[in-house]
Amino acid sequence: MSFWKIFLAVLMAYVIYGAFNIAHGAIGFAEKGVAARIIFFHVPCAVYSSVAYLVATWYAVKHLWLLGGPNKSVEALEDSDFKSATAMELGFLFCILATITGSIFAGVQWGSFWNWDPRETSIVIMLLLYASYMLLRTAFTSDTAKRARLSAVYAVIAVIPSIYLIWVVPRVLHTMHPTTTLSNPADTSLSYKLVLYPSFLAFTLLFIWLMQLRVSSSKLLEARKKRRLREMEAQR
Amino acid sequence: MSLLPITLSARGVGHRFGARLLYREISFTARNSEVVAITGHNGSGKSTLLKIIAGLLQPVEGNVELQINNTLTDPAHRSQYIGFVSPEMALYQELTAVENIRFFGTLRGQHYDKAQLRAMLENVGLKGRGSDRVGDYSSGMKQRLKYLIAVMHDPEVLLLDEPGANLDVHGTKIVERMIGDRRNAGRVTILATNEPEEEHWADCSIPVAAV
Amino acid sequence: MNNQSWVQQSLALFRKDLLAETRTRVAFGAMGVFSFSALLLISLAMVGLKGVMLQNSTGQSVPAWNNSGKMSLLWVLLCFAAFAGLSHSFVYEEETGTASTLKLHMMPQAVYAGKLLFNTTVLLAVSLVITPLYMVMTGMEAGTIPMFFTVMLSGTVSLSAVATVVAALAARARSTGALFGAVGLPMLTVLLVLIMNAARQCYIRSESAVQYVRPVIGIVGFGVLIVTLSALLFHFIWED
Repeated sequence: MSFWKIFLAVLMAYVIYGAFNIAHGAIGFAEKGVAARIIFFHVPCAVYSSVAYLVATWYAVKHLWLLGGPNKSVEALEDSDFKSATAMELGFLFCILATITGSIFAGVQWGSFWNWDPRETSIVIMLLLYASYMLLRTAFTSDTAKRARLSAVYAVIAVIPSIYLIWVVPRVLHTMHPTTTLSNPADTSLSYKLVLYPSFLAFTLLFIWLMQLRVSSSKLLEARKKRRLREMEAQR
Repeated sequence: MSLLPITLSARGVGHRFGARLLYREISFTARNSEVVAITGHNGSGKSTLLKIIAGLLQPVEGNVELQINNTLTDPAHRSQYIGFVSPEMALYQELTAVENIRFFGTLRGQHYDKAQLRAMLENVGLKGRGSDRVGDYSSGMKQRLKYLIAVMHDPEVLLLDEPGANLDVHGTKIVERMIGDRRNAGRVTILATNEPEEEHWADCSIPVAAV
Repeated sequence: MNNQSWVQQSLALFRKDLLAETRTRVAFGAMGVFSFSALLLISLAMVGLKGVMLQNSTGQSVPAWNNSGKMSLLWVLLCFAAFAGLSHSFVYEEETGTASTLKLHMMPQAVYAGKLLFNTTVLLAVSLVITPLYMVMTGMEAGTIPMFFTVMLSGTVSLSAVATVVAALAARARSTGALFGAVGLPMLTVLLVLIMNAARQCYIRSESAVQYVRPVIGIVGFGVLIVTLSALLFHFIWED
């Protein structure tokens, strides 16, 4: 049942409350540390903008695996295709949110909304990769099987630039982003952990819920399209 | 050439384009020397059925098997036993006829000398036109060249989509003779057509119709 | 065809493409004219920067229109040139209907190898013509010579690897031309960041070889990974 959705609502409310009232202002940040409060939303968004890509790739690989296999059930192929496409759309959404929250933080903290920091560069290119995936999908209207197959291939091949973006590019270029504060738990104060960890959980559940909603709506739309085609066939 | 037993069988083949169902439950078997016609109105899916037989397209339902010398051929390598003439399969316009023949020959691991090339061209009525670019050919001449390339490796199965397309009386005679030669050599020929005259070339007809 | 290896098939396709290219000169011509015009545009646009000096973060005076900047713009030019011409080899097979004929005669992996070889050859030829011209017109120096050649070669090959697989994808869709650039350039942006980073190393004197090798490994690794995945997945793109 949907108990976890109610739990998500409570958890998200706690994260929003906690971000402003539980966490202390962090030392070394602008506006007496108030600026740092945005990380409770910025960091999960940024993490999910790359996790979404991995999820999309997983389903793209599954789609191609099913295609190569002996029993090709149309339902299973459609399911993996929709899940891959949905993860891409969510990745695009979280990418935009991470860019906006990051830019607000940069404006307050470093005095300029855009600094061409490597992570900023990375996320813009990531945004472009998501956009080109969605663009590729629009180029196939009639043949949905071909659309599914080719976009899966693109998703898998574009894993290479994404991996480079997530791991290589920020290390090749000098970055202003704090890598130690959050990746080393010992450096993070308790009041932050109390909000940040629930925030990650909340965003995970949010991601799953959004996935479910979008996938089932895609399936319904596809079923309606098929039914209409069948009706047209019958009328002829 | 020794006569190997050839069996081409389709079992319960069905295909759909997107959500549109083209046909279902197409079954037939073709053996040595047989000529089979696939008939049906425009858009009924004759061309896709030929592609499925050639192994270029996976059917949604059923399967097609080609047995040569009583051994099943690997579907991925089936195309080496197949020659295919189709309006959808073009030749290279910017290359000459001989260059086209050489290129497709190399892909099948065959090389031809000048005398062989001359004989092949003469056989389809393209004598002396071998060094002309295919782009300068008339559509009937292109069709003749397609026949030449489709049969130059003496395929076990020849697939003809709209065999008479763009051909004049003389060209049609060449095709008729070619089908006769193949029958004598024990080869299988399958044609997809709407023309009653071409249907007469076949031993039997398989109607393809939308369900 | 059984004993016909995919190497022989791909070489035959490569020879066929070269022969057709010498007749029509579509790919080379399009890329040549495109990159030469872009070269003129860049030179003209940057005329105003000649002799302008800037202070960098350490207080040193450096020319605004410096070698690193010139090299970066050369690669932007080559990227767009690749996208002006490299789609041709797949698109014309689809448009003229010869793709179906090839599907009957060739193994998909051989098609990929042949096209990759052809595209790489054309792109190398273009960059061999354009780079010296660009150096003359903008006064760009080569810096550390071995590094310069390594970057140019590995960059060009990786560039053609990306352009080839995206061209194969885009050729299967409608409105191919518009799609090709839009789908391919985001992937190329990452490669371009790596190439620009390596190119900067041409103009920095460095004692340790690691400083030279690491950026090149980044570029070569990118190209190798793209080629590997493309070869593995090509039959999904090529077959119906």
